Amino acid sequence: MEDAGFVIGSYVVVFGGIAAYAATMISRARRLARRVPDADKPWT
Amino acid sequence: MANAPAGGITPTHDTGTRATQVFGTLAALGVAWLCAFGLLFSPADRDQRESVRIMYVHVPSAWVAYLAFGVTAVASALYLLRSSHSLTWDRLAGASAEIGVLFMGVTLVTGMLWGRLSWGVFWTWDARLTSTAFLFVTFLGYLAVRRLGGTQHQRAKRSAVLAMLGVLEIPLVHFSVRLWRSLHQDATVARIEGDPDLDGLMLFSLFVGLIAFTLLYVWLVIHRQRALVLEDALEAHGLDAALVERRAEAALQGGGR
Amino acid sequence: MDLTPRTSDEVAGAPSSRRRWIPLLALALIVVAGGVLVTRFLTSAVDYYCNVDEIGVRSGCDEGRSLRVQGTVEAGSVSTERGVTAFTMAFNEEELPVRYNGVPGGIFDECIPVVVHGSIERGVLQGTRVEVKHSSEYVDENEERLDDAVERSGARRCSPQA
Repeated sequence: MEDAGFVIGSYVVVFGGIAAYAATMISRARRLARRVPDADKPWT
Repeated sequence: MANAPAGGITPTHDTGTRATQVFGTLAALGVAWLCAFGLLFSPADRDQRESVRIMYVHVPSAWVAYLAFGVTAVASALYLLRSSHSLTWDRLAGASAEIGVLFMGVTLVTGMLWGRLSWGVFWTWDARLTSTAFLFVTFLGYLAVRRLGGTQHQRAKRSAVLAMLGVLEIPLVHFSVRLWRSLHQDATVARIEGDPDLDGLMLFSLFVGLIAFTLLYVWLVIHRQRALVLEDALEAHGLDAALVERRAEAALQGGGR
Repeated sequence: MDLTPRTSDEVAGAPSSRRRWIPLLALALIVVAGGVLVTRFLTSAVDYYCNVDEIGVRSGCDEGRSLRVQGTVEAGSVSTERGVTAFTMAFNEEELPVRYNGVPGGIFDECIPVVVHGSIERGVLQGTRVEVKHSSEYVDENEERLDDAVERSGARRCSPQA
């Protein structure tokens, strides 16, 4: 593929960025969830 | 989704539920489809050749950023206008803005990469590029304002006002290519004059991208909104604990006199 | 019971001054970044954005001043010699010769719209930067074969593009 570095790089930036954000946010949420009683979690 | 028991006694729930599992699975399938169509099955463009493949992630990122900032503004308005002043709306606004900033950042980076291949430059001080960067910076400011301290309702009020002002930039960004002479091409899909100017498989790939990114947004915003509920609950618990501690200290001091 | 507020340094769990300053500092940096963006845009906007047919006609689109000129690269006009690229750009049937010290990047080609930064000296646009503009039309590369066939027949002309 012509310009593969730029094309694949852009997909890596997009999905790498989103995955890194999601992983950080969800792992932090899990840590917080252990300190909060289920009564304060309206979705449970 | 239940975690391991905290402290070995009670199982606790994190931010995952059936809804997030469904949206997460659909988003993952959508992303896999997008990669297959965007990178393999869709044809190269006559003028832009392979670089057109960046469009399938660039345009959906921009769409989700607009959507996220729009949701932030609507949720902010609902917080301010409804008599209950429910913090649920504020948390939805905050969660959506954070994800919008992520997608807007991704839009800028992919736009620069695409620009280098098609325009020959990473960046130019063009109306569309500058207004997009300004929108990104505005909502970065919104996120900073949310962290300035004060009570949860103070946070909600000041950030809601900023969100409702910031969202006014979106039409300016979208129509900047019409309002000013611009290097950036005109809208391809969201255009006033009739059908999109896209080859069939290219349009389909772009459509897959829009669906996949919207699902990703919904999945992320549910998790983030719930994480904000947890942060607020801990902050409130911390305040309650501090008050109890202070009362106890005051009672001790009073008893000692 | 004494519930008078404590002084800030004795409040249990109060955020450290460093933690309180970080959002303020971030906000200040963001405001500065916004200011830089607007300033750079306005500075750039000082260079008039002119179409080829507006040179010498529209106010501000004059010889000798810094401009951004938009037009389409004329078919058969591109030549490169000793690192200097020369071509003719056209808009609404008006033409303007361009000299650019370098090789334009991107999808630069004949019949492609470009924006050239520079100034016009003795009727020639001395380009300092060439940006390639592409339309909002996306066509399967395979259809290029049809264009090639047209070109081989000697009938190739640049269709007007803005």
